[in-house]
Amino acid sequence: MSAKHALLGLLLHRPAYRYQLGERLQERLGPAWKINSGQLYQTVRRLAADGLIERIDSAPDDQDELHVYAITVPGVEEFESWFDAAVSTARLSRRPLLVKITLAGPERLKDTLEEIDTYEHHCMGALEKHRRLREEIPVTAQVRADHELLRVNLSADIAQLEGELVWAKYARERVTWLLSQNPIWPPMHERSRATAEEARERLEARTEMFSRIAAKPQRPLPAERKQSA
Amino acid sequence: MLRLEQISMRFRRPDGERLALDDVSLEVGRGQIMGIFGPSGGGKTTLLRIAAGLRKPDSGTVTYEGEPLSEMSAAERTRFRRREVACVWAQQTVEEHMEVLDHVALPLLVDGCGHRSAERRVREALLVCEAERCIGTELGALSDGERQRVALARALITEPRLLLADCPASNLSLIEREGIMELLCALAREARVAVLVTASDAQTLVGVDPIVYLRDGQLIKPEPASDRGNVYPFPSAGSRSAALDA
Repeated sequence: MSAKHALLGLLLHRPAYRYQLGERLQERLGPAWKINSGQLYQTVRRLAADGLIERIDSAPDDQDELHVYAITVPGVEEFESWFDAAVSTARLSRRPLLVKITLAGPERLKDTLEEIDTYEHHCMGALEKHRRLREEIPVTAQVRADHELLRVNLSADIAQLEGELVWAKYARERVTWLLSQNPIWPPMHERSRATAEEARERLEARTEMFSRIAAKPQRPLPAERKQSA
Repeated sequence: MLRLEQISMRFRRPDGERLALDDVSLEVGRGQIMGIFGPSGGGKTTLLRIAAGLRKPDSGTVTYEGEPLSEMSAAERTRFRRREVACVWAQQTVEEHMEVLDHVALPLLVDGCGHRSAERRVREALLVCEAERCIGTELGALSDGERQRVALARALITEPRLLLADCPASNLSLIEREGIMELLCALAREARVAVLVTASDAQTLVGVDPIVYLRDGQLIKPEPASDRGNVYPFPSAGSRSAALDA
């Protein structure tokens, strides 16, 4: 999901400097929402161009660190419309590691074990960091909504990372087992031998044959056949 | 283009009658590809054989381009089988020692085509079906995937306008299965051929829409692609869980 509606939601509460928006995003939603200054700049620029936010300061244009943004009426409508309409669906990640494992083939599958180990190591590090952040959220006598909601956010990331670790363990076990089985591999390598020249020749033959079939005249209807007879 | 209306068929056996098809109706138009999936013995092959005019149903009508097959003259029926429709069967009896070129060329030679012209067309068909490397090989030496591709090439050699394919991707690897299904879909889309293809499970029918479920001779409601979920064309939950439990 893009940061667009998250930024509008933040500005709904109060105006902010651009750099503050980046900080608040992380404070309220957790480390997964870390956004680099380039992306933040682009998103803010787009929101302003769409008329959903506007500058309310009188600082010079070239001093963008002094620019203050506030949400506009159309911005409020956009946020509320998104809030009412957005449906949460399960999101599956496109992990590059999965692409590697799936397409490694017999020669390189073994290499992916090391990648799985590295991935696991990164997940462990991220998990520890998130758990620590969650523990650092102060517990106050008066319940604070922003603290509790941040706890919810971080728990989502923690649950995801724990899931990734379960998957990584399973992937390592299965790949190790697969390597021990001397399996039959689909003929990917036969396909990889097809050159651009062969592929072009095949496509030309296909186009020609299919065009001929498509242009084949329809057989005459019974009434027409009787008439011509 | 092809319409099957209220087709019923019974087989008489020593232990009693078996209902192979029960009031089955479907229609496939030009440039369309329809899939039929279901368990073995459900009636898929029988249905295709009836559609090809190889078997007469006990009741119901098969119509090709508005003309019932039953009303065609003998000459017209022969023309229909030779020039209009082509079939790829799951279990094909082949001459194991016959060479691929000769096997694929046979329908053309029977039709009076010259040898040189036939060979040119055979090479083209094998290339289209990605089986050109099989030239020079005996049929008995082909892998399952190669055999299916050669069978498809033989079906395409007469440039049919209707293709009936009975489990053409069974027992093939995932990649080979995808290749066969892609070719069939392209045949419908680009060559405007009406294609009716069967499979034992919906997952095989990649890219095919609509697909229908045939079980115990009965056709179950078709599943449009939009109802089938994101990626995998699994059958409905009931039949899938039954398949998993099996």
